[in-house]
Amino acid sequence: MPQTWPRAPRRRTTPIVVGLALATLAAPAMAALGGNIASVQADGAHMAAQLKSTAAGECTIHTLTRQNGTVSEYARADGLIFAVTWHGPARADLRQLLGDHFDTFQTDNAVAGGRRPRRPLAVNRSDFVVRTGGHSGAFWGVATLPQSAPSGCTVNPLQ
Amino acid sequence: MRNLFWVVAASILLCACGGGGGGGGGSSAASAPPAPLTNFATVVVDAGPAALATGPNGYIADDTPYVSVTICAPGSTTNCQTIDHVLVDTGSVGLRLVQSVINPSLLSAMPVQTDTSSNPVGECYGFVDGYVFGSVRSADFQVGGESVSGMPLQVIADSGVFSATPPASCTSGGGTNINSVQALSANGIIGISVTTTDCGAFCETAGGFAAAIYYDCPTSGCSSVIARNAATSAPYQQLPNPVAAMAVDNNGTILELPSVPSSGEASATGTLYFGIGTQTNNGLGSATPVSVSTALTGQNEHGVGVAFTLYNAQTLFAGSNSAVPGVGANPNAISTFTAFPTSFDYGLPFFFGRNVYTALEGRTAGSTTGPYFAF
Repeated sequence: MPQTWPRAPRRRTTPIVVGLALATLAAPAMAALGGNIASVQADGAHMAAQLKSTAAGECTIHTLTRQNGTVSEYARADGLIFAVTWHGPARADLRQLLGDHFDTFQTDNAVAGGRRPRRPLAVNRSDFVVRTGGHSGAFWGVATLPQSAPSGCTVNPLQ
Repeated sequence: MRNLFWVVAASILLCACGGGGGGGGGSSAASAPPAPLTNFATVVVDAGPAALATGPNGYIADDTPYVSVTICAPGSTTNCQTIDHVLVDTGSVGLRLVQSVINPSLLSAMPVQTDTSSNPVGECYGFVDGYVFGSVRSADFQVGGESVSGMPLQVIADSGVFSATPPASCTSGGGTNINSVQALSANGIIGISVTTTDCGAFCETAGGFAAAIYYDCPTSGCSSVIARNAATSAPYQQLPNPVAAMAVDNNGTILELPSVPSSGEASATGTLYFGIGTQTNNGLGSATPVSVSTALTGQNEHGVGVAFTLYNAQTLFAGSNSAVPGVGANPNAISTFTAFPTSFDYGLPFFFGRNVYTALEGRTAGSTTGPYFAF
């Protein structure tokens, strides 16, 4: 926890964004890792102002920007979401974003006895990889399903 | 010119370590000697509070800087407690103490903050590796020679007001529910990062949240996310950065830790100075401010090269030393994809042998307005 790094600028956002942020705790907004893009589009229908989709080689990046964080989901041509990235002042809702993989994420980061070097949460598996970092007020992370990822599509945590 | 200034500042710092403020020795001036400086607290990097080592999951802390703080029931000079081994964190904001370490008679005299519905206020606060949940109370606070009256703080895992079970919106970020001394590796944590409150504008709208989430907590349990104003003086709502709420020396801090040999040491002792350039012992000197105002999606204004030697962590941690240098990793070397390109974690080993400055947002420290870090 005693760690520091560049943090997000504190800025007042527009009333539109603030208003929509009210719904973020309760309403699922995006699909989960390993899910299908169709649910992103369904969720995006009522949050169209925030959802931006960008074609990038073999994949399409769907980015949802809110007052307290940005989430991007990477979909293959067949719609499968093989990567999720997030960054912002709030912790991301990983229970939602990681879906069925959340329990694995928690298991792999469970605290054992003995010394506890403080370190960011992570998962190192052949079929599921997570990196996180930052500090309170400026969090970031990346989760991927390497065995489901298409070639020619770079996952960038900034998007 | 700049180098000369550095030499002067450094020598003053050395004087201050010995108890501070002796200055002016040899002068024949008739004026009274200056009052001793008190704008600092002793920092220890040691095995941690005794409770850490107890039980089947006992362990010793490593590379964890601690200070002692004193809290009193508001207005009281007798219902007080000094709490040792409070973790110094330059990456979070706010004072948070584990309920189990607070004397029951003091805890019951620490008023619980209430909201517009007259219900208790609860808080969830996120760290990189987990989260804490508990009540928001207030107390008179003292660290070193600095104090803040009626300062809000979080009582972690406070079971005396409402359920200590965190709401789903608190746990959904994953990681550990840090709800005990062993989980925190400390009796509490004092966050002195660059922001003046723990949530800022994000929490000033109902439903808004950031690292902090504030809840309305009726007896049925916490669920609604409520607005809390960001203030660094009374009347408070959000937890302030304790440094921002001090009457003086309130523009930042300097964490000064000694060098540690490559084999590590059982413990190390340093100093946490309050204020930057506000006294004769806390000048910025030649340290280079690194702006953090440009943030996540941009590049730092300054590129700063840092020499940092890595040692064998497996060997170091096999021993019983708690002050361990040279522990780190290059995220780009262990990641299968692009790590966050502008992210750099200053772990505690970075602080050994350095003075690391943390300047608060919007406050001028030295000749530069924060937020910035410098070393």
